[in-house]
Amino acid sequence: MHPALERREQPINPLEKPKEEAGPKKPDTDSSRENLLKRMKKVDPKQAERYRQRTGE
Amino acid sequence: MKLFGIETEYGITREDLEESDPVIESMELVRAYLTKPFRQEWDYSMEDPRQDARGFRADHLAQDEEEKAFEKTDRNRPFSFHEMKSDLALTNGARFYNDHTHPEYSTPECRSLKDLIIHDKAGERIVQECANRRNALLGHSSVQLYKNNTDFHGHSYGCHDNYLLPRTMPFEKIIQGLTPFLVTRQIIAGAGKIGIETPGGLQPGHFQLSQRADFIEVEMSVDTMSRRPIINTRDEPHADRSQYRRLHQILGDANLSEISTGLKVGTTWLALRLIEQNALPKEAEILEPVSAVHEVSLDTTCKKSIRGFKGKTISPIDHQRLYLYAAKKQFGHENDADTQWILKTWEEVLNDLEFNPERLISRLDWVAKKWLLQTYMDAEKVDWKDASLIAIDLEYHNVNPDRGLFLAMEMAGNMERLSTENEIKDAMTLPPRDTRAAIRGLCIERFHSQIDSVQWERIIFKKGFLKKELDLKTLFEPEDVLSLKNRLSGLSDIAHFFS
Repeated sequence: MHPALERREQPINPLEKPKEEAGPKKPDTDSSRENLLKRMKKVDPKQAERYRQRTGE
Repeated sequence: MKLFGIETEYGITREDLEESDPVIESMELVRAYLTKPFRQEWDYSMEDPRQDARGFRADHLAQDEEEKAFEKTDRNRPFSFHEMKSDLALTNGARFYNDHTHPEYSTPECRSLKDLIIHDKAGERIVQECANRRNALLGHSSVQLYKNNTDFHGHSYGCHDNYLLPRTMPFEKIIQGLTPFLVTRQIIAGAGKIGIETPGGLQPGHFQLSQRADFIEVEMSVDTMSRRPIINTRDEPHADRSQYRRLHQILGDANLSEISTGLKVGTTWLALRLIEQNALPKEAEILEPVSAVHEVSLDTTCKKSIRGFKGKTISPIDHQRLYLYAAKKQFGHENDADTQWILKTWEEVLNDLEFNPERLISRLDWVAKKWLLQTYMDAEKVDWKDASLIAIDLEYHNVNPDRGLFLAMEMAGNMERLSTENEIKDAMTLPPRDTRAAIRGLCIERFHSQIDSVQWERIIFKKGFLKKELDLKTLFEPEDVLSLKNRLSGLSDIAHFFS
């Protein structure tokens, strides 16, 4: 059997996993959101237009 | 065999100038590392980028003409070729130089993923420290460095992942087995990009997984600067050619996320071991892999079918699962910490991509960047076509902690770490302990004045009119490294080693 199909016969949805606390969680981005937004708003929109590089490997 | 390294070409800019000379800027940036005048000591004699692993030497490279034109301009500068390259071998075993007008940091050879991640991060800190010194000299903070792979104007520069392999692995087998794997690897290792780069310019309004996918044109080639391939066939083993080959992969993105870096290299290493042990999943073949690289990069759901084995279709997530399951079956019983981490994290990430991608904001570069851009778009009420998103994309990769958006997320504790700041600080000067980089680093630290030339596979010392070679071509076993290190550590003069 195709392993991907085999997988679907065994529930692996991480939301249903009993060891939920062992896996990664959605990061707490709410507290840093405002600071990140401030930093993003400071970015000069023109800087990408000026950014020119030579081809590398 | 477990030995890897990452080479990263950084983008560099001077914000105080309308136009800056990238040759001079990269050279000055590298030289900011030095506390003494530059002395040419990197040995290029064993390098040959035209040597092809398919068993021939290419008569030319696609980039030759463009390179010749640049060389003509470069000859008018008041510096020699070696001065412009400013090639440095560092005490931590790394190489730092100006490669094709980009400051390039090549990590020392690492035996564990943790060491590799720490040394990749040490590279970020070293290049930024050099930018700080250069800016102090200039009197303003105009030099900025970007760990990314595009200028959004059609110019790409690379981040290459390297693997030492036994020469007995037929290269045809590597091509056949690894090509499909690399097509879908970007769902875990992409760094994310705004827009699609075409010969006609940047098409805004899109977000894709990979920085590099737009520049992949052929399935395999020895070329690296145009007609870029999925599999690079360059055959420069930096080791005994009769016993080893080095797989030099150029299609990957430069990652800032430690999880992305670890999975990029770790899953590729396991895929190579599957190839070596004839344990590849049979259904993994992908039809038209170059087109598939582009298709996969443009699908942020990672679920749209690509054409695979015998006309069947498969989603990129399930395609990666074919390799994951084969690796679990083949290597799941091993006690190796890297293997266990890769298998566990690979599975978690694929499950999260399918069911709950927002859990990966803290783990994968492309997901983190997409979240940042979405946050900005929601706040500013703009859409994916907004021009400022390109500048925000670029700034994600700035390695200046006062500016970089990834670094801001990391400093806020939003990004999962595998390294500590102390480990990174140590790795800025100290090599990994269990690879030949330990010997290179020790010799540079202790016997620098006696070194005539240095490179990956040997160090040549001056001894009066005679030169003596320390051969590192086969030094890969940790106990051999330790034994040689112990012998060298007790010496006050390298001459005693050769007498």
